[in-house]
Amino acid sequence: MTAPFTALARNQSKVFGLPNMQAAIMPHPLGGLPVPQVIAKVDAVFDEIVAKLTRPLPKVPVEAKLAKSLWVEVDVKDEWDDLQKFFMERGWGDGMLAMPPTEARVAAMVGGSGFPPNHVVATLAPKMGVATIELIAANAVMAGCKPMHMPLLIAAVQAMAEEQFNLYGIQGTTHPVSPLMIVNGPLAATLGIHSGSGLFGPGPWSNGVVGRAIRFILLNIGGAKPVEMDKATMGHPGKYTYCMAENEPASPWPSLAADRGFDPGVSTVTMTGSEAPHNINDHDSTCAGGVLLMCFHTITETGQNNVNHPGEPMLILGPEHAATIAKEGYTKDDVKRAIYEEARIPLTYFSEEQIERRLTRYLPKRFKDRHRSDAMVPLAQRWEDVMVLVAGGTGKHSMYVPTFGSTRSVTRAVLKPDGTPWKPEDFK
Amino acid sequence: MKLCSPEAQALPPSNFKTAPRPETLAGLRVGFLDNTKPPADKVMAHLDQRLRERFPGAQSFYVSKTAASVPATAEMMQSLKLNCDVVITGFGD
Repeated sequence: MTAPFTALARNQSKVFGLPNMQAAIMPHPLGGLPVPQVIAKVDAVFDEIVAKLTRPLPKVPVEAKLAKSLWVEVDVKDEWDDLQKFFMERGWGDGMLAMPPTEARVAAMVGGSGFPPNHVVATLAPKMGVATIELIAANAVMAGCKPMHMPLLIAAVQAMAEEQFNLYGIQGTTHPVSPLMIVNGPLAATLGIHSGSGLFGPGPWSNGVVGRAIRFILLNIGGAKPVEMDKATMGHPGKYTYCMAENEPASPWPSLAADRGFDPGVSTVTMTGSEAPHNINDHDSTCAGGVLLMCFHTITETGQNNVNHPGEPMLILGPEHAATIAKEGYTKDDVKRAIYEEARIPLTYFSEEQIERRLTRYLPKRFKDRHRSDAMVPLAQRWEDVMVLVAGGTGKHSMYVPTFGSTRSVTRAVLKPDGTPWKPEDFK
Repeated sequence: MKLCSPEAQALPPSNFKTAPRPETLAGLRVGFLDNTKPPADKVMAHLDQRLRERFPGAQSFYVSKTAASVPATAEMMQSLKLNCDVVITGFGD
């Protein structure tokens, strides 16, 4: 491996039961270098590799089995300056002010869940941290959530822990990906998850704190500390917070939750491993074909993972664009098919190295026409994998959200401990 | 002030019984698990060539993941276990 990945590798080999795994460390990078330079780096560690394959493994030191204390006594003179410094030194926060997770606040937050504090919701990669209700609550307090938000967070943790979501890949990758929470159903309005104008920005709604709590959970329970474990080259602002609701009243089509078979009265949380949204500005098209054409040519970017992974590229249509498309009789499935068929990238737009090293290796069937000069590359394996939502407010803008690719979105109902759906009247 | 630490404890790892280390690779089966991050295939191929030059009779066995960001499957790991005496893989970029 190369040096920047050593800490992550050591942590993971320990988590998965091989703490004395042997490694040869090379200077970074290997990717992107001409092959002779790669070979030179490998040759430099060849003898080390042979030695480490043929000598006895070092003995694993026996660690004292002392569970880290769940409760910490903190002696601070100033609640804000000293306490915030304490949080940052421990790596608990995101660099902004965090609410102290006191006994009273955590207890109130636990109360909002309906579960006992030691109930285990899931384990979260890469640390395989055990996400109890109390720990989710502590993170929710720090992020600024209210107790009523706990059911959403529990559903989100369950969703991210599912194998198809690939949280392990998402947490450690160099790619700029963050789990995006999409809320559907009546609880969106009840719990203050905004779906209209400015939904991805600041405002008097709960999107910010709920998305922030997800990040705190991933940081503190999942263990993806930035730089050391979370290897994002740059990341994106959604790694601070990334939460929205679908604008169901403004949509001409059934909701994402309805598409996935949930009853109208059941609220859901869908988690997707998403890049930052990219604007599609079309103030001028007056017909479906025009709006869709503008969408196609905005979303056909070469530098996205949906090109070479079996993912779910996502189009978030603003209500006005959606109305223009729907008034000509397009269903959501028609839009998905159109994107799959028409939003394609000429293979000639990719570098030879990309084609050779990545595209044809990862998805040989998608690139089976590799040698044709007119080969065109779709953004998904099949039209059903394209996701289409409606959100936002006034204005002629839509958004394209590429995904990590090596992930499938997961939708979970927001349920009480007895398995029945949480309803708005439960929060009065 | 008493605060609840937001950090989780990890599940204790399962006990791993490691394979005995060989004293030499001569005549052994060397596995290569390609994580598919370019240029892993070039790295593995070069190591394979050099190991064969250094250790007569060494054989190679290749397994490639389907993508860099997903784990090797249980089937892949089982095939490495059955067909190799030692395994080399790459991590990260």
